[in-house]
Amino acid sequence: MPPETVLAFDTSAAHCAAALLLPDGQVVQRLEPMEKGQAERLMPLLEELLAEAGLGWRDLTRIAVGTGPGNFTGVRISVAAARGLALGLGIPALGITRLEALAYGLPRPLLVAEDARRGEAYAQGFDLQGFETACLSPISDLPPASHVTGSAFADALPPALPLAEAMARLAADRAPGPRPAPFYLRSADAAPPADPPPVILP
Amino acid sequence: MQSLTFLGIESSCDDTAAAIVRQRDGAAPEILASVVEGQTSLHAAFGGVVPEIAARAHAERIDLCIEQAMTQAGIGFAGLDAIAVTAGPGLIGGVLSGVMCAKGLAAATSLPLIGVNHLAGHALTPRLTDQVAYPYVMLLVSGGHCQFLRVDGPEAFTRLGGSIDDAPGEAFDKVAKVLALPQPGGPAVQAEAAKGDAKRIPLPRPLLDRPGYDLSFSGLKTAVLRARDGLMAGLGGLRRQDRADLCAAFQRAVADVLTEKSRRALTDHPVGTFAVAGGVAANTEIRARLQALCDSLGIRFLAPPLALCTDNAAMIAWAGIEQFRQRGADDLTLSARPRWPLDQTSPALLGSGKKGAKA
Repeated sequence: MPPETVLAFDTSAAHCAAALLLPDGQVVQRLEPMEKGQAERLMPLLEELLAEAGLGWRDLTRIAVGTGPGNFTGVRISVAAARGLALGLGIPALGITRLEALAYGLPRPLLVAEDARRGEAYAQGFDLQGFETACLSPISDLPPASHVTGSAFADALPPALPLAEAMARLAADRAPGPRPAPFYLRSADAAPPADPPPVILP
Repeated sequence: MQSLTFLGIESSCDDTAAAIVRQRDGAAPEILASVVEGQTSLHAAFGGVVPEIAARAHAERIDLCIEQAMTQAGIGFAGLDAIAVTAGPGLIGGVLSGVMCAKGLAAATSLPLIGVNHLAGHALTPRLTDQVAYPYVMLLVSGGHCQFLRVDGPEAFTRLGGSIDDAPGEAFDKVAKVLALPQPGGPAVQAEAAKGDAKRIPLPRPLLDRPGYDLSFSGLKTAVLRARDGLMAGLGGLRRQDRADLCAAFQRAVADVLTEKSRRALTDHPVGTFAVAGGVAANTEIRARLQALCDSLGIRFLAPPLALCTDNAAMIAWAGIEQFRQRGADDLTLSARPRWPLDQTSPALLGSGKKGAKA
């Protein structure tokens, strides 16, 4: 497989994170914490990163994008941008979940659990039997594991790599699949109407 | 004048749309492709558009709609001059998805990006379909909006008046819901109304007794609910004929109010053309009444084809072309705006305080 030039970015939490993985394995990256304004900041930040490496959009061979779980709107900001970039550049975009990225480079068996509020966590085990599929789980139901990481734990292992860099490296080694889609894990908060329609009489 | 070919992207409510519009030097614009993917079935169980569900659908469909439009038009990105995208007002999750996809495309292709106000798209449609000359008066009447606009240029809009609460399209949907009719409510209520007596059940004509062009539909909605409850009392249900009569009365009330307010707006602002846009403009009684009004005033009445009356991306591409000629492009910091009044000077009808006027 020829070395890839991967631009990875993530806005699934209160930040704009981006990393540019070069064919020689070097990485340039940025992490800008921000509560809001990711939609305005993301593209200029990516252009700054490319300029820092002396590259243009056309030099990229792959896009990697953080698909969550995380802030719904934040996830969509990056996923929509990634799909637009991939379409315009004619290169693949790969979706990388936050859980996969957090697990990158850490010892196994590993349990990743990110605080999802309401006493729940977005969780996924790696080489952890019976818990390999990402899910939304009550924190009290999480299985024991030799190694744990993520914001749901007080004694979490620190990540091996910054989030966006882990996403770039994962995407470089993975075969492109379907277009990236948000990985919500939590369904949309919508309830059917409370007042039922009347019975219709002849 | 330079020949321009624009991609338009629209995702501000529950339709994901992409279109290609071209205007050759001096000629009438051509719609090379227009793709609209609706979400009615996704929201059907909830009795209205659920913003999060809409946003989820847009985020995974916009690029597909764009590809489809470009294939239909038979052009590649090299054949485009710019990308126009709805940047508000609307449901922010959907608007953001469209804006970000457009930014990704613009960065990748080096094409200029222009953010378009969704309402400007509707308001400039008469120029896309019929090359209507400025100035003209527009009634924008849909599920989310209701306003009279005087249009003097690609970015010169004066809001003459509008709804101070709900939009009529929303009222049609709510009425359908409380009468056990399917969504979207407009066609369902119209079909029932055809079988009913519009004069049997009295309903209010809100704000008709006040001067000016402002409208209100919230109280009318409640009046339908009260009338329904009255008709159902002691029966345990609603009789089919009562439902038809209620639909007819409601539709007549909406038509009466829209027609009278239109008459006032057109009398005070004499122009050559009165145009409508929005899904409610598809209602045959309302359309016939407005046509008759224009005939009596000697004004041209223009209702664009339904596909260009309801949400679509051709109107966004076209508004993009008109506005680009006037003000050029935006940059990649373009914001998606849930609230974005077309007319920045007239006092707000809806919304206020820190967040500002809605539309």
